[in-house]
Amino acid sequence: MTEIPAHIAAIKRPSKKLWPYYVCVAVMTGIGFPVTIVVLFFKYHTMRYRFDAEGIRMSWGILFRQETVVNYARIQDIHLSSNFIERWFGIARIVVQTASGSAMGNLTLEGLTNCEEMRDFLYSRMRGAKEAHAHPATEDGLAGILMEIAGEVRAIRAAL
Amino acid sequence: MGSGWKRWFCELLRVPPEPQPPDGTPESIQTFLAGKNYYRWRVIQFGIVQFFIGLSMAAMLAAPLLSKKPHTAQFFTVWTFIVAGVVAGWALAALCGLIRITLDYQMRWYIVTDRSLRIRSGIWRVNEMTMTFANVQEIRVNAGPLQKLLGLSDVVVSSAGGSTHPGASHAARFAGVDNGDAIRDLITDRLRQYRDTGLGDPDAHKPAPLAVEDAARALLAEVRALRASGVLY
Repeated sequence: MTEIPAHIAAIKRPSKKLWPYYVCVAVMTGIGFPVTIVVLFFKYHTMRYRFDAEGIRMSWGILFRQETVVNYARIQDIHLSSNFIERWFGIARIVVQTASGSAMGNLTLEGLTNCEEMRDFLYSRMRGAKEAHAHPATEDGLAGILMEIAGEVRAIRAAL
Repeated sequence: MGSGWKRWFCELLRVPPEPQPPDGTPESIQTFLAGKNYYRWRVIQFGIVQFFIGLSMAAMLAAPLLSKKPHTAQFFTVWTFIVAGVVAGWALAALCGLIRITLDYQMRWYIVTDRSLRIRSGIWRVNEMTMTFANVQEIRVNAGPLQKLLGLSDVVVSSAGGSTHPGASHAARFAGVDNGDAIRDLITDRLRQYRDTGLGDPDAHKPAPLAVEDAARALLAEVRALRASGVLY
């Protein structure tokens, strides 16, 4: 398993710009502001990312702790999305989908400032991103060699 | 990025520029756009909705006039202001809607390489989806009667997974393309290089065993025949 780039491994927390965005989100909930701001406050302060050679681990929450682990090889598709307010703060989110039946996106990486780099990194680890043409050619080559061997052995038998 | 108003709007909304194609050989990169009739179709849909909204508003604004009570001059003044306000608001909303439809049509890209596809759409919420062909499970081409009439179709490419989360669906949608069959054939052709389940099997990168197995069986049969011939004893 190849090592991951240092700048990706260094991401442990969302950007600080996520907090003012959360405040905007809470304001937009109107009368729900007091509850929403408390939930988002703890979410922001407890959100942790870990990118290792095999996959992504994300966790957040104190009372109701959530932790999600996704292996790079299991990623089905990558969504990079941002609304108008997020773009004004210079952040975006990446939703990673696996083949599980979750109704929500499987893993949402919030508050990313280098979202395109992250997307490209995740893409490079997805299945099918690198090895598209190598396998059928290898397979055909191997089959051809084996058939040649069979032909050689057949010829030997005939000669003997 | 085109005309001045469009650039101004995109800068205001911080819309990112045209997406970069995903990895793949440069000669394999193909960018598709929504068909021109897609824009016309969206404008027609929008026009029909606006027509019924206008009709409803006209009925509501005219209702006080139908009252048999005599109307004072003050009533007409207030009524005129209300009508002017409602019509101005409606016109502004319609203009914004038309701008949104125009930009949504223009800022929509469907990129296909030999390994993956990337779809970018949206103005208010920009969504970009990247999917490798190794994970594709299904391709569908949808076209309703009106779409058929306009020569349009939607090509929907699905991976595994059941997410219905807005903006994070497991289906990539080539909406309103006028060459849906060509896109379907292109993706089908790209899929031929993958023979696994597309579910991230740990050994899915191994070649499909059928041809190799046939060759190995042939070799085995020959070696057995050689041994059975007795020349080695």
